[in-house]
Amino acid sequence: MIDQFLSTIGDLARDSGVAGFFAEGGWKNIVMILISFLFMYLAIAKGFEPLLLLPISFGMLLTNLPGADMYHSEFWVYQTVGDNDHYIDYGNILQHGGLLDILYMGVKLQIYPPLIFLGIGAMTDFGPLIANPKSFLLGAAAQGGIFFTFLGAAVLGMSAAECGSIAIIGGADGPTSIYVSSKLLSNSDSIGVGTIALAAYTYMALVPIIQPPIMRLLTTKKERSIVMGQLRPVSKAEKLIFPILVTVVIALMIPSAAPLVGMLMMGNLLKESGVCDRIAKTAQNELMNIITIFLGVTVGATTTAKTIMTLSFAKVIILGVIAFSIGTACGILLGKLMCVLTHGKVNPLIGSAGVSAVPMAARVSQKVGQEEVPTNYLLMHAMGPNVAGVIGSAVAAGVLLSIVAH
Amino acid sequence: MCYNTAQLLSSKLSGKDYTATDIASVVITGLSVVFIGLILLVLFVSIYGAIFNGAAKKKKAKEEAAKKAAEAEKAKTAVQQPKPEKPVSAPVIEDGIEEEIVAVIAAAVAAMSAQSGKKLVVRSVKRSVSQRDPWAAAGLADNTRPF
Repeated sequence: MIDQFLSTIGDLARDSGVAGFFAEGGWKNIVMILISFLFMYLAIAKGFEPLLLLPISFGMLLTNLPGADMYHSEFWVYQTVGDNDHYIDYGNILQHGGLLDILYMGVKLQIYPPLIFLGIGAMTDFGPLIANPKSFLLGAAAQGGIFFTFLGAAVLGMSAAECGSIAIIGGADGPTSIYVSSKLLSNSDSIGVGTIALAAYTYMALVPIIQPPIMRLLTTKKERSIVMGQLRPVSKAEKLIFPILVTVVIALMIPSAAPLVGMLMMGNLLKESGVCDRIAKTAQNELMNIITIFLGVTVGATTTAKTIMTLSFAKVIILGVIAFSIGTACGILLGKLMCVLTHGKVNPLIGSAGVSAVPMAARVSQKVGQEEVPTNYLLMHAMGPNVAGVIGSAVAAGVLLSIVAH
Repeated sequence: MCYNTAQLLSSKLSGKDYTATDIASVVITGLSVVFIGLILLVLFVSIYGAIFNGAAKKKKAKEEAAKKAAEAEKAKTAVQQPKPEKPVSAPVIEDGIEEEIVAVIAAAVAAMSAQSGKKLVVRSVKRSVSQRDPWAAAGLADNTRPF
């Protein structure tokens, strides 16, 4: 009887997850679990984008527990069927997939990011941008980070799909980064969607640390002290026309940006119309929260040991921060140009808000401006470029998707 | 305007078989397309902004002119027969309601009148004899309002 007891215990031990840690490459899972603890610590104790980083880090923990089988990276391998070499066997996933496999379909099929954009649109006030349309230019300039990082990644010898995915981190927009990378990256690439999302959200949380030194370096004390006048009030009719106009113009020009921009503007129209209160509220709260949970935990689940513990991950981390910095610098430089052209009416600090981390980047502009003149309120002026940055990075995403093969 | 950016490049970039010119063209096309798109939006938004702002200003100027004319008329009649000015009736406040509460109610009404554009006046402040807690009533209204 003792023998039977011992052999049963032995079998259980062999089947348990603990045995997985001692299998070949099992130590990598332990490292990944420790990294997930670090991200959980950053989210909970340091408040780094906790709404996203916490689900992501927990997904990371779940996926790296051997034997849990909640996510199978092998299911997401592209297969060649006829002429289509970008084919995933969703039937197989539905039949054999774990919980996170099923939820991850929403990422791979590009469903979650546009729905998040719907919620963001329903929460955004485009008033400051309508009052000062020139802010659009600052939002466009800050996308420079995306394209110059594309160049940097190419120099490091990465594939075109990897270049595009890393570059989009410079847009400082989580859903857009996930949208682009999930469309571009395939299993032959050395990085995954989870890597890109981790880098994007970490850097977005670090905006208040990354941006101010660059802002101070590129501007003079005199420029930082410029006080900007009040914005004109915007009528309801203008706010109603805006989302429709932007959708038509952008979707006609760059069709691949339509899902992101279209949903963003639909959310905004729901809010501004004032007649769809219930739907607007759902988009802002319940729907957005549900999608955030799904998106976070599944994107976290893609960070399996074999995709993260590579040299490419280090490259993503380094190129990501470069992308952010160049974006900030481009925005500030165009801000300086606008300052000169308007004879000192524009404070260049609002340019850095063109990276789309809403509203963090605008708050940073406000804070740095107030360090010089305590009574200067740049926040509303910075919100213009900030929301323009959201539109700008969605457009840049569309451009990348139409240039790079996927 | 209705073109696809992919057509700007002869073929899509894939794998690692790209040249320096390909990458340069990605940077240049990418940035210029983003700028062209957003500059178009700047133009459209500026144009309709100018139209609406202009219309609003015109309306305001018209209103002001009308107001001035009315005042001038009033002044004329006032000179002829001076009338005692009608006192602004203060709202009737029920006993036991604090001034602070009245101020909050007045501020809320003022905010509403600014939003709707109608001029609202507080005539009286009375305690209501409702059976249901107002928060509960608001919750009920919120959940039972039809689509």
